[in-house]
Amino acid sequence: MNSVLKRNIYRAIFVLSVQLILLKRIDITFGDFNYIHFTIYPIIIALLPFKTNKTLVVLIGFMMGLFIDLFYDSLGVHAATACFIAYSRYYILMLIAPAEGYNKEGLTSYAYGFVWFVSYISILLFLHLFILYSIEAFSFVYFKEIILRTIFSFLASLFLIILSQLIFNPKY
Amino acid sequence: MRNLIYLIIRYSALFLFLVLEFFAFYLIVNYNRSQKEIWAHSSNLLTGNLYKKIEHIEDYFDLRIQNDSLQNENSKLLEKIINYRVLSRDNAFQKFESTDTLNNYHLLPATICNKTLNLRNNYFTLCKGREDGIEVGMGVISDYGIVGIVNSVSSHFATVLLIINSRSNISVKVKNKNYPGSLVWNNSNPDILNLINIPKHASIEVGDSVVTSGYSISFPPEIFVGKINDFSIESGSNNYRIDINLDYQLSRLEFVYVVKYDLIEEKQTLIQMENE
Repeated sequence: MNSVLKRNIYRAIFVLSVQLILLKRIDITFGDFNYIHFTIYPIIIALLPFKTNKTLVVLIGFMMGLFIDLFYDSLGVHAATACFIAYSRYYILMLIAPAEGYNKEGLTSYAYGFVWFVSYISILLFLHLFILYSIEAFSFVYFKEIILRTIFSFLASLFLIILSQLIFNPKY
Repeated sequence: MRNLIYLIIRYSALFLFLVLEFFAFYLIVNYNRSQKEIWAHSSNLLTGNLYKKIEHIEDYFDLRIQNDSLQNENSKLLEKIINYRVLSRDNAFQKFESTDTLNNYHLLPATICNKTLNLRNNYFTLCKGREDGIEVGMGVISDYGIVGIVNSVSSHFATVLLIINSRSNISVKVKNKNYPGSLVWNNSNPDILNLINIPKHASIEVGDSVVTSGYSISFPPEIFVGKINDFSIESGSNNYRIDINLDYQLSRLEFVYVVKYDLIEEKQTLIQMENE
């Protein structure tokens, strides 16, 4: 258990560093097309052990979002999003529960298979990005832009997350 | 109580989630300028639209008051122009020190209640009468030009003898040429008036403006009447017969101004004394 905790802390530090130092600066713009933003930090919440207390997950999500907000100069936006994701994580997991139930250590592709992991992280990530950009625009007047941004950022971020899973392939 | 605590513990994730979401939104709205503006704007989208509609409806109720105030403002401005004109003509070679004491013309705005326009003798009825300060013999003008002369007055109404009335006879002149004549209406066309008593040696042209002379007690000088449309010399006559085209349509008028001249009695008694 101790190693699980350690692993999650290291992962959080690593992912946040990559997100805030590297990915935040990547700006892909082709003329009017600037819909690609890399967002991989939801994976921290996604990979928390299944047995983690729901309340604790919500709290962690909020704290993490707030921490990211401090760097993105958008106090509250990421916090609200991450908090929402953290709360809905349990229900997403229930939705796509494997036949044998969650009886293994981590919620990774190593434990439950690649297809399961991709569907899990896709739902979470898409929800996260959609809510994030909705709150950022704060009005559904910009619905088209929200959708475009969500879709392109989703594809780019999903690619990075899957790549990281293929490279590290953590057990838990 | 125990049940409540139990409930809170059981749904602690939900409660924490809701509390934190509210807190996050509080942060968003209070610490992000654009979100704050959007929030203000979005609330305006809802209420602002409603307010706009209400205001739109209220405008109709307000229209009469607005109209009255505009009319009053207009009458004041016209009054100033008329008085200034008189003043500058009377004192062409000297500075006038105080203009207040010389404001002899006052305009009383009035609404038209009733119109007859297609008869031989045409009248307007004004919705103002003696109680509003209107007297028989006062001139009536509009934004465009002269309209007529007050013919009879009751306590709340007044009739105006229009310039397109066979009994109408108003002292006018050709602008800048100062030939005085009389404005009458002889034909049945409400757009054409006649200017008579202009001697045939006068040099007039088609297009010359005709304005009031200011010799009568009813009208201030230089109130626009119309433009010369056509003129001819009648055989055996010493005078021109001039057709004046009325630029504005009397039938369209809704509001007029009654000219009140402070020195009307003085002038009237003097004229009467001369006649005697």
